[in-house]
Amino acid sequence: MLEHYLNAFATVLLPQNILAMCLGGLWGLLAGALPGISTSMGVVLLLSFTYTLSPITAFCMLVAAYCGGITGGSITSILFGIPGEPSAVPTVIEGHALAKQGHAAFALWVFIIASILGGIFSVLVMMAATPLIANFALKFGPPEFFALTILGLSVVSSLSGGSLLKGFLSCFFGIFLATIGTDGITGGERFTFDTTILLGGINFVTAMVGMLAVSEILIEAEEPFKEYKGHVGYRGLRAEMPTLAVYKENWFNLLIRSPIIGTIIGALPGAGATIASFLAYGEAARVSKEPEKFGHGAVDGLIAAECANNASTGGSMTILLSLGLPGSNTTAMMIAAFMIHGMQPGPLLLSTRPEIVYGIFVAMLLSNLFLLVLTIMTIRLFVELNRLPYSVFSAAIVILCVIGAFGLNNSMDDLYIMFLFGIIGYVMHKFDIPVAPAILGLVLGDMAELALRRSLLLSLGDPLILVSRPISVVLLVGAVFSIVYPLFKKPKMLQGL
Amino acid sequence: MHNVRRFGEVGSGFWPMLSLGFSLLLSLSWLVSTLAAFFAARSKTVEALSQEMLAEARARRKRVVLGSVCLIVYIAAMPRIGFLLSTLLFIPAFVLALGERRKWILIISPLLVTALTILIFARFVAIPFPKGEGIFAEFSRLFY
Repeated sequence: MLEHYLNAFATVLLPQNILAMCLGGLWGLLAGALPGISTSMGVVLLLSFTYTLSPITAFCMLVAAYCGGITGGSITSILFGIPGEPSAVPTVIEGHALAKQGHAAFALWVFIIASILGGIFSVLVMMAATPLIANFALKFGPPEFFALTILGLSVVSSLSGGSLLKGFLSCFFGIFLATIGTDGITGGERFTFDTTILLGGINFVTAMVGMLAVSEILIEAEEPFKEYKGHVGYRGLRAEMPTLAVYKENWFNLLIRSPIIGTIIGALPGAGATIASFLAYGEAARVSKEPEKFGHGAVDGLIAAECANNASTGGSMTILLSLGLPGSNTTAMMIAAFMIHGMQPGPLLLSTRPEIVYGIFVAMLLSNLFLLVLTIMTIRLFVELNRLPYSVFSAAIVILCVIGAFGLNNSMDDLYIMFLFGIIGYVMHKFDIPVAPAILGLVLGDMAELALRRSLLLSLGDPLILVSRPISVVLLVGAVFSIVYPLFKKPKMLQGL
Repeated sequence: MHNVRRFGEVGSGFWPMLSLGFSLLLSLSWLVSTLAAFFAARSKTVEALSQEMLAEARARRKRVVLGSVCLIVYIAAMPRIGFLLSTLLFIPAFVLALGERRKWILIISPLLVTALTILIFARFVAIPFPKGEGIFAEFSRLFY
């Protein structure tokens, strides 16, 4: 293992990979900081830059963008009171309250340190846990994989927003889309209408670009121009550097409680950064000696939310790398990145491409350190960028979408498919149907079908094979729990998100 | 596709039918719940939308339709006039469709964004963008 780490450090520290991490981190910060661009959209737009890069350089860039996106969402939250990401809502409550009291620089420092420490903690957990989980998952056969994909699909209940019915409708739509193309078992054609365009199925990068990015631009186009002029008086970070005593007072919150909550919640399929930051924030409020300060600039609340928010990245990546399950939109984009570079995330990846998995560990660790410097250096830039006209950003994003969809196969057909999915995403938004479950269905539908049909081939058609092994039973019970639990236990603060 | 089957194999059609069947059931449930909500709300008086609100809704729809038209025309024109020219024309059209009227943005942004795009993606990442046909191809070859 030590040899793998030494090799990974030697590779990731090559100049081109350091540059990739810095550029990816900057892009992620920008995507997170600008309202209208989410972290997942940032990662999907970045995919087009990585087509011609080596896999390790591509992942250095993408993981840095992922960590940067989660971090960047809090910059606009503190300075403008606008959450760049839903997970940054507690940061708006406490961070922006501090900024309005004239302590913007202080709030930014607290957020930067808490974010980076939370991120580093989760990466260390990821380094320890991924090989253990992946080795365990190597024992899985088709029935266990089927149960695993059902567990992955069960997160629909968390991604559904207000209506579970619409969430499942969206998910089954995604599962159906995954069946288009050549059947993986018999080689027969399904829903191709005798065209060659659909023979290879619907590429989910093209579909994601359309449903996530193009539709978002159309939704934003409805709104009148937004230019954020009313931010609090930010005069630079040097104005208010917090003393060490602030961190000493909150050491348990900063180093143990919130990062643990963030990492565990991040690892639960579908839970993600939003639930992590809210739960850690709620826990901080519960144990606080001064609960009356919450809502009016509580430093412990800001630390808890930011720490858990960033710690969720390592948790999500652990499950992606060890089991191949996307826990969130952004990690679903990562699956696309693996496929573009000819890999499938999951338990086999650690044995077949250890240099990639250990490279991602090291890249995530270093990305968090680079982000510390990048965030400090670029806060003022993001403040100024928020004054630029959104229309130009929209046009630039559309062009990045076009490049992303075209560059995949150098095919014009993909652009038409992207446009079609952009319209589908927009219509789904108008009917309040969440897009994320459709993407999840598209990503996992094919895997679930193949695992089910292989299981039935093994059992000569007996469906009891799916519930006759202990691991698959545990995973299926987990899936049922994952669907039912959010219905009864959605935290009050999360309702409506 | 239902005939291709081996022993113990559920067939190519099983999974699509399962997903479409569930989609149909869920759609019907949604329809029923929507109709129920509609009939429940029928007795309540609904405030009529003001002229301003109607005009605003029309303006919103117009921006989305114009933006979509710009995008589909951009995609359709790309193989004929090339990526560079189509991008150069798409940006001001799209920005105008979104309601931007400042001249400096309409002039500078297409040049800047197109130049950066060509530099990064055509020259550096080497994506073989469409060059167009005839004279447009000759023009595109001057840049990538």
